[in-house]
Amino acid sequence: MSAPNCLRCLLRPSAGIPVSSLPRSTPFALVRAAPFTTTTANPRPKKEAQADGKPKNHTRAGKKLKLGKFKKEKVGDRGRPPLPGERKAYRKRITLSNDNAIPVPWLTDLGSADLANPANMARVMALPVELQDQLRASEAFKPTQCWGMFRKPAVLVRKETVDLANRMQNAVDKRQTLRLVVTGDKVTGKSMMVLQAMAHAYLNNWVVIHIPEAQELTTACTEYAPIPNTDPVQYMQPVYVLKLLQAIKRANENVLARTYTVNPHPELSQSVPPNTPLLALANAAKEPDAAWPVFQALWSELTTQGANRPPILLSVDGLAHIMKISDYRSPAFDLIHSHDLALVRLFADALGGAVQLPSGGAVIAATARNNAPRTPSMELALAQREAEQARAEAQANGLDPNAVEVPQKDPFFRGYDDRVEAVLRSVQVLRVRGVDKLEARALMEYWAASGMLRATVDEKTVTEKWTLAGSGVLGEMERAALLTMRI
Amino acid sequence: MASPVNLLRLCLRPSRRLPNLRASAVPQLTHRRPLSTTQWRSASTPTEDDASAKEAEDELEKVFKNPGEFLNAFIRDESVSDEERRLAQRMLEDWSKVPLPEKQNIEKLAQEVNEESAQLRRPIMPKKDSFWHVEETDQDLITDEVGEDDFEEDDIMAMGHAKLEEHREFREYARIAVWEMPLLSKLAKPFQPPAEDEVLRFRYTTYMGEFHPADRKVVVEFCPKDLPGLSEAQQLKLKKLAGSRYNPEKDIIKMSCERFEHQAQNKRYLGDLVNKMIEAAKDPTDMFEDIPLDTRHHKFKPQIKFPKKWYLTEERRKELEEQRKQALLLDEQKRTEGTLIDGVQAIQQAMLHAKPVEVVPVLRRGQRGRR
Repeated sequence: MSAPNCLRCLLRPSAGIPVSSLPRSTPFALVRAAPFTTTTANPRPKKEAQADGKPKNHTRAGKKLKLGKFKKEKVGDRGRPPLPGERKAYRKRITLSNDNAIPVPWLTDLGSADLANPANMARVMALPVELQDQLRASEAFKPTQCWGMFRKPAVLVRKETVDLANRMQNAVDKRQTLRLVVTGDKVTGKSMMVLQAMAHAYLNNWVVIHIPEAQELTTACTEYAPIPNTDPVQYMQPVYVLKLLQAIKRANENVLARTYTVNPHPELSQSVPPNTPLLALANAAKEPDAAWPVFQALWSELTTQGANRPPILLSVDGLAHIMKISDYRSPAFDLIHSHDLALVRLFADALGGAVQLPSGGAVIAATARNNAPRTPSMELALAQREAEQARAEAQANGLDPNAVEVPQKDPFFRGYDDRVEAVLRSVQVLRVRGVDKLEARALMEYWAASGMLRATVDEKTVTEKWTLAGSGVLGEMERAALLTMRI
Repeated sequence: MASPVNLLRLCLRPSRRLPNLRASAVPQLTHRRPLSTTQWRSASTPTEDDASAKEAEDELEKVFKNPGEFLNAFIRDESVSDEERRLAQRMLEDWSKVPLPEKQNIEKLAQEVNEESAQLRRPIMPKKDSFWHVEETDQDLITDEVGEDDFEEDDIMAMGHAKLEEHREFREYARIAVWEMPLLSKLAKPFQPPAEDEVLRFRYTTYMGEFHPADRKVVVEFCPKDLPGLSEAQQLKLKKLAGSRYNPEKDIIKMSCERFEHQAQNKRYLGDLVNKMIEAAKDPTDMFEDIPLDTRHHKFKPQIKFPKKWYLTEERRKELEEQRKQALLLDEQKRTEGTLIDGVQAIQQAMLHAKPVEVVPVLRRGQRGRR
């Protein structure tokens, strides 16, 4: 005779039924639920809905608290909710033309030498269709820029643009590498300067490798894996590199198809014999696992000395993100320095001047102001380079160079980074400021001719908007004139 | 004959000033000028009074603690007269005859007196949370407090006298202000800027003779560059030694001291400290070359000045007018050429030339009816 109460589970069986009368056939252990569990043993049976769609139990008719009695019943369905990622895609979509905008009659397409021509200063020029495709493939357009307001994407050729294009051209003529950081205040057109540099490169058949957002590489939002046989350990980012490879392939199709490999690449799973077009080499990466070796092979081919290679433009936007400790962690749970990520290191080496490009080229990095982590070393290095440039300029003009003070390190501050300093020790700095009134006028005439600015573009209007925009800061001018609808 | 009173009388005699019992805590008005607009400075005899007061107090303590020893010292002192010496001799003999328990008694008594009178020496501090200072006595009201409330019908009350006394005092000061204070200008000396070798600037605080815990504070300021005989490196070391007391914007080291009871002591301490610092700065064993000058304690204020080229001078006005004229001319020229662009006009033109959009009927399908 067992005890009336089940001592093991302290469950009281129903009073009327003695334990002995339970069916003996089922072993006790099978019926019993797990001794410790946080889930219910039997999932609760679904509530059976009645014919009128209301649950059967626990509803008292006529005694229900009803809040919002007078609220209208929702009419109709709202359609399908957006799928995951759909909203972001909408937010990030890039529209390059507006059929409602008036075509501007005097707009001419950019030619290969136009951006370096001083005669084109203060002119708005359109991007040719192929160039648009190339720029779009390498994600040079940004959703915050106002491309979607005009019939055709067009850019203002500024003094800085001509300067930059000339510097690029000079570097290639001498088979040197231009290493340059574009910096400036908020919305002054730093990213646009990089876009114009890319446009110049594409139009002159360079190979362009562009990292559109440096933060994607270091904020730990893409996969990473240690590269075997590296000391200190470096990390590859296969998914990002695959994406980058595809972008390079699409944007530089013509140039890569005309360039052939010279070295064998036994390390690749796919056999790439010498004299294969680089496009085929880039095509060898079909999945993330193979992406990094293929990218490395492509890079080594592009930088092979002695072979006939096109000039190369490496560009990155948001430099501060790759000049700090990244958010990735090593197996020992230490934070990884950005320069230990292989792709970033490649870029940093090029910016620091460690890479010799075979037929010259440029490494251009743009800083960002809104989305930028604090990187004291980078800020200091850029300020120092700028001061040094000012000194050299003063000396050239016969002024006293010592009047310009080169900022020094704060000896009691701990947050400096030697690796960053080493990279930025000898770069040129191009500071982008507001446009002058001539350029502002050209731009506003373009806006008005496109029907986007309902005003007469005379000196008064131009000066007004130019002043409102803090001496011609382009983004502010857009805000003051273009994005404020006055009908 | 060795009564304590006699002993006390004798002992107090040689100390030149009878120390006011409360002087140590509450400096009396008599020490300083009653009314003065100038800062109190004691250039020639810094604080002789205070120093001697301190001395006297020590003496007093010594007398009470050990009269025998004191008497011995007194006899050896050459400045006392023979008569006094003889008296002291006698007293010393008497004191030596006193049995030990009685000596101890005297010492105990001295200690008791000291403790009892401690109340009197303590400074009177105003209460912080009192209501209109009710418990405070009226300091201005001068009464003799003896038989104050007795009224003998031949005079006004003591309070009345006190009030009159107050009036007299006011008027006395008024007279001084009118008749005597103007004469002070005769004593005025012309300001002489400090000489080259007077590099230390001391600052004192006076509360016009009132007691205040901050009146002992002395502040010294000096510029390391002014110190004679210091090389550049030594000056830099001196700045590093000064630490957060160095102001890099003004290039001045500023130190203060209120550790001691009297201004003079604090000043002396500061002077010694400066000397010590200079000595250390001159010491060539470690010149602190590996340590940069720390200025983290100081916040540099940017000197913002109105830019010179922003001033609207006559030339600038003309220049601006010229610019405006040019701008107008440019607009006019563009207008005549027909290249001046008007946004509204552009839109109207485009609307004129735009082809009318043909409406093509489209089959709407699958739209659930909505009533």
